[in-house]
Amino acid sequence: MNRLIRPLLGAALIGLSVGASTALAASTPGGRALAPGVKVDVAPAPGSGPAAAPGAMDDSALRYYARIGDVERLEAEIARLRALDPSWEPPKDLFTPQAATPGVDESPFWALLSAGKFAEARAAIAEQRRQSPSWQPSAKLLQELDVAEGANRLRGASDTKRWQDVIDAAAAQPEAVACNRLDNAWRLAEAYAELKQTDRAFDRYKTIVSQCPKAKERRDTIFKASRYLSPEQLRELTAIGATANPAAGEDYTTVRKVEGELESGRLLERLGNPKGGALSAADLSRVEQTTRDKQDADAAIALGWYFQRQKKHAEAQSWFAEANGWSPSDKAAEGLILALAGMGKKAEAREAGTPWRGKSSRVDQALKAVADPPRGGTGGGPAAPQGPSELDMALARNDFAGCLNAVQRMIARSGPTAALVQQRGWCLLELKRPTEAEAAFVEAQALAAREPAKSDKPAKPTSRRANSDRGLEDNATPAQENAYGQAVARLATGDVAGLTRDLPRANLTTTQKAEIRASLLATEANRALEDKRYLDALRLLDARKELEPEPRNLGILRGWSLYNLHRLDQAYALFKSLDDRLSTEESREGLSTTWKTIYHDW
Amino acid sequence: MFGRSRLSRAFILTASLAVTGCAGWVENNLTQAPNPWRRLAPADLPVTLPNSPQFPIVAGRTRTTGAIYTSYMVVLGNPTTLPGENRLTLDVHTLPDSLVGALIQPPRVFPVPLYSTQTLTVTLAREFPGMTVKVADGARRNRYGDYDYAVAQDAANTCVFAWQLISDHDRMLPRRIEAVRLEYRVCGSDRNPRVLLRSFDEMALTLPETVLEIDDLKRL
Repeated sequence: MNRLIRPLLGAALIGLSVGASTALAASTPGGRALAPGVKVDVAPAPGSGPAAAPGAMDDSALRYYARIGDVERLEAEIARLRALDPSWEPPKDLFTPQAATPGVDESPFWALLSAGKFAEARAAIAEQRRQSPSWQPSAKLLQELDVAEGANRLRGASDTKRWQDVIDAAAAQPEAVACNRLDNAWRLAEAYAELKQTDRAFDRYKTIVSQCPKAKERRDTIFKASRYLSPEQLRELTAIGATANPAAGEDYTTVRKVEGELESGRLLERLGNPKGGALSAADLSRVEQTTRDKQDADAAIALGWYFQRQKKHAEAQSWFAEANGWSPSDKAAEGLILALAGMGKKAEAREAGTPWRGKSSRVDQALKAVADPPRGGTGGGPAAPQGPSELDMALARNDFAGCLNAVQRMIARSGPTAALVQQRGWCLLELKRPTEAEAAFVEAQALAAREPAKSDKPAKPTSRRANSDRGLEDNATPAQENAYGQAVARLATGDVAGLTRDLPRANLTTTQKAEIRASLLATEANRALEDKRYLDALRLLDARKELEPEPRNLGILRGWSLYNLHRLDQAYALFKSLDDRLSTEESREGLSTTWKTIYHDW
Repeated sequence: MFGRSRLSRAFILTASLAVTGCAGWVENNLTQAPNPWRRLAPADLPVTLPNSPQFPIVAGRTRTTGAIYTSYMVVLGNPTTLPGENRLTLDVHTLPDSLVGALIQPPRVFPVPLYSTQTLTVTLAREFPGMTVKVADGARRNRYGDYDYAVAQDAANTCVFAWQLISDHDRMLPRRIEAVRLEYRVCGSDRNPRVLLRSFDEMALTLPETVLEIDDLKRL
């Protein structure tokens, strides 16, 4: 967070150094903190003369950065000069307006350099030398100009993915990839990695985490490197970053934690992916331990579903209960209900859902499944006593091709019913065939209208979507269920405009309508972001948030909208909040990019 | 991301049109992301397909991207239980009809070349997960020239994926159309891929401006 307050500090320093610097310097004796660990003595009164003897140390850049209030560069320059001469101290009159010195004022050249106008700076220097042939620009000015041009070449090559040029630019100007230009150092490592020179990339990352003193920079470097390096290399990098060349006042425990965070993130991603396969016992134990240590409810829910998918209902129940204990939520309650039901504890399952009954569609649906497990194809009749049907088994296996076959056979055997055709619609949706699914729901609608005395009664859960997080309400009629299916199918086909137009007249329950509306708004917000209409994206997301809590992916989308509107502090805070809860590649990318943008000119 | 030249062109255009009171036009035409799909009745589709009880037209859709790309999708019936829709897609790239339109162009909706070995592999794996896929050695020919295709099979089903670029201005395309990209993806239970390709072989384009067929020219 220190970095967030530095611009304010910089702005304050501009004020101090320009207008009222004399008075303030006089009235605040002692040290002034520029940033943690950096203090500069301020002269008690102006006119105390230059601190450094001529020729001892070139402090022209230092004075320029002090005058314009560029704290980051000022700090870096102080560190650089101290590295050259450990006994050197910043001049006491750094913030005191300097009397005009005889000779040439270099300020205009520094200003051009600072603005990134390198060619103009060189032209201005050449012009000045033409006017004053005896004048020589300071070595520092020329050196900074060389470095800045090198850094600029490097960034340009990196932006356009000319990786070899990035390496060449860094070789020509090694100072351009020093710690005070960390972004460039990252780009150089990235160039090696992109050219598949992983060992060299690893070396660059090692240099950064051993030479750059700030713990946060080391931590971010390891996250950056995680995109390219193997787990073994990351472990080594973390060990180096946590121990090498420690700087006073820096706390490297955050660096040590990176490895665990990365590993947990990877394992949690695998846990959440049904196709991710089973974790090894060691991995599972590690993620369980991390989850307990952090009391991370989201991770506990992921673990719960992981076990539930493997039909290890007791373990699943334990994790859902942990999640519910750490942070009660309807997601945790839903899992708990289904896990208890899987263990045959229906009464406890119903009890677990009591706090959310009628308040959460996902919990209501889970309770409904416990109370009356769906029997696809029975047309709402009593459940067959002889165990699960072929359709039930196909759905339990998430085998949607099997579902289509089972529905087809049942239709061939006993003719189509609204429930069967509706089930076919849900299975087609799962098979990414939304157009046919919509047609199936339309057909189911027509059949339901012909089936006697059902259309005006709440529907029994005769059909279902596997892994569904959309709730079909208790009081939805068959007609409403079919209309809902059609709306979901139209969403999947991208018929956003048509659905938006038809939604107000659609025969849906209030909850269904709100759910579809929220999905439409999310789709539109995505489109607005792609179309670079960032204010629109925020407007749509705000409207959506009134209907449903914002899921993580839309939080990321909101972050990028804020970023592109240059509301960087808000974007940073949002990415940070998402990353603190569950660190993923997307959240880290948002965090790192925003951070780099805020402090681009270190 | 915008390139510098595109940004500067867009800026000049925006500035000049804004001062002349055309800000609304700019707002509409700077939108370069694809518009949402709209439904289209089969009769309004710019393509005619042979009657096929196995692969009937389920629905038609269209969308535009900027002022120069129009895409059409014809969803066909799928008699299998495989994932993914059977479909024919048609992307029409027209030339800008004004200097202003030439200044702001959306990103291409299809690349040329249409596929590299790598992108084709990715596409086929996405379209036909878990199936054995083979890219045909030789091209086939329909009314609009040669096209390439791949065949995917499992124990019970066969699928075909065909792609074609029509860009012959000398003989086939009207001046206003820069190129037409066609893609056809169909799965069925017939083991013979030629049966599955029949609709693609026999389709006829009915765009507002006539696209000549390859055999029209032979008859001349």
